[in-house]
Amino acid sequence: MLIELKGVNKTYNNGQPLHVLKGIDLQIDKGEFVSIMGASGSGKSTLLNILGILDNYDAGEYWLDGTLIRDLTETQAADYRNRMIGFIFQSYNLIGFKTAVENVELPLFYQGVPRKKRRQMAMEYLDRLGLKDWATHYPNEMSGGQKQRVAIARALITRPRIVLADEPTGALDSKTSVEIMELLQQLNREDGMTIIVVTHESGVANATNKIIHIKDGIIGAVEENLSHTSSPFGADTIMK
Amino acid sequence: MNRFFDRDRFHEIWETLTRNRSRSLLTGFGVFWGIFMLLSMMGGGQGLKALLEHELEGFATNSGFLISGETSLPYKGFRSGRTWTLTLSDIERLRRSIPEIDVVTGNIGMWGSQATYEDREADCQGRGVRPEYARIEEPKLAYGRYINEVDIDQERKVCVLGKRVYQNLFPDGGDPCGEFVQFGNVWFQVVGVDMNNGNIGINGTADRSLTIPMSVLQKLYNKGDDVDFICMTAKPGYKIKDILARSKEILFREHFIDPDDKKAVFEVNAEELFSIMDNLFKGVNLLIWLVGFGTLLAAAIGVSNIMMVTVKERTTEIGIRRAIGATPKMILSQIMLESVLLTLAFGLLGIVFSVMVLSVAEIGVSASMEMAVGFQVSFGAAMLAVLILTVLGLLAGLAPAARAMNIKPVDAMRDE
Repeated sequence: MLIELKGVNKTYNNGQPLHVLKGIDLQIDKGEFVSIMGASGSGKSTLLNILGILDNYDAGEYWLDGTLIRDLTETQAADYRNRMIGFIFQSYNLIGFKTAVENVELPLFYQGVPRKKRRQMAMEYLDRLGLKDWATHYPNEMSGGQKQRVAIARALITRPRIVLADEPTGALDSKTSVEIMELLQQLNREDGMTIIVVTHESGVANATNKIIHIKDGIIGAVEENLSHTSSPFGADTIMK
Repeated sequence: MNRFFDRDRFHEIWETLTRNRSRSLLTGFGVFWGIFMLLSMMGGGQGLKALLEHELEGFATNSGFLISGETSLPYKGFRSGRTWTLTLSDIERLRRSIPEIDVVTGNIGMWGSQATYEDREADCQGRGVRPEYARIEEPKLAYGRYINEVDIDQERKVCVLGKRVYQNLFPDGGDPCGEFVQFGNVWFQVVGVDMNNGNIGINGTADRSLTIPMSVLQKLYNKGDDVDFICMTAKPGYKIKDILARSKEILFREHFIDPDDKKAVFEVNAEELFSIMDNLFKGVNLLIWLVGFGTLLAAAIGVSNIMMVTVKERTTEIGIRRAIGATPKMILSQIMLESVLLTLAFGLLGIVFSVMVLSVAEIGVSASMEMAVGFQVSFGAAMLAVLILTVLGLLAGLAPAARAMNIKPVDAMRDE
């Protein structure tokens, strides 16, 4: 198992204690393409933060590729995040004053990869995502889809064990959303990349191979969705 | 990332500093101005001090002088308003009765005369002195020698020329020793040239003087045993003030003057004057440091403030960096380095600018004073300034860096 969660609990103590995750048990295998789906407030973002080592948990165990992720120092956490996890965010989170290629190579900068090597690898990934001509452009000169593809390139460049995507299509129109999801599918299929998508959109969830429903801090149903017939993109306009 | 000074890191810092060009410039200007003020004032103060010291060149700082005047009180049958004069025997008496005196000697002036050599003339005043007078006003002999004991004994008609007298009489330069110069109606043989250029002197300044043996002057002009000034210096560890008081006591007793008479003798305490000046310069120096360092400190606080704002603005960016693998240490060193670099870059500019301004001042003043006046700050002082800048930069970066370190990646993503 690449990812194994056993009875993970998380409570926020901001004034009124808020028990967000109430014992999460979850197993994700290498090469899976999974979505975690739930309404807002269901705890899916918290779960993603824990999976991404951005936040810690109170009780339980989180094993990532055979390593127990618990009580890490900031430096260790930063190192694990850098080497094992690639992030894709709803708002892209590119650094505005850096060009596309500089954004993509930033994780390698923190690994101490030499400048030339870094640049060359970043160009390769941009090329793969069809953005070679946009390498020297700044994020504000690009469309949402292009920005998200730059972010995907940045997530992939360290060859992480898992890619975590938090509402990757949240800020995109439905046509671009389909493109981005197809890109993720392709990455999963061709590179065997393990991808976990957190979303509340059923259309996005439908693009993945397995849908994990989370509700009120507990895992509900786990749907196998290899046929992608759960709920096509834009089919149900109210729930999208 | 182990190397502290690598190109990428500086690239990052350069990017962030230039992104807000006007803000960086305005912040840096404070540092620039602070260091510029500090160094210029230091150099300026030093130059002024050198100028003043030049005025007092060669003059004994632990010296005191007495000049006889008119009595203002009747005493032992003598009326008030009586004039009296100091004599050579007074000098002998003081030398014998006050062992704390190092040198005591006289000085007689001969005013309003001209010296001539061939067809050239020079306004000057004659000064009759003894050899030990060299220890009151130290001559800077360019040629020849000073008045000596044999000149006094044999009453030789010899003279030492002051700088201006020499320049006027011998415009082509060269050694004038052996030549004869007419002073009043008498011919004197030149035995030395004194290049002392100070602006303080007894019976006129040294540069406009024609110094001749005291015994000769007394004989030639019917001065008898009289002297105009009694000049004395104290042995190390003694105050000239006490010696002057005791000298007055002895002289008053000898010349039948009321011990309470305040006007019968005029005294000058050079030691006191010099120490006032010394203290003045110490005060000025302290002020320079206070103002200069205060300005610099204010500038550093400005840098800290701006960095604080910058960090706040960059919360999201720092969060992203943290999410994709930057350790807190990397963020810390980045902010600290930004602060140090901003401070140091503008500080160095300030140093360069102040060195330039001081150079101009030095060249200008030296040219008009016909001598080298040191306005420039020393290399050590400049290095000290660099060190202070680095430390201030580090201190300024401390609070913003601590704040940046506390930014969690999760915070950044919430803050949209």
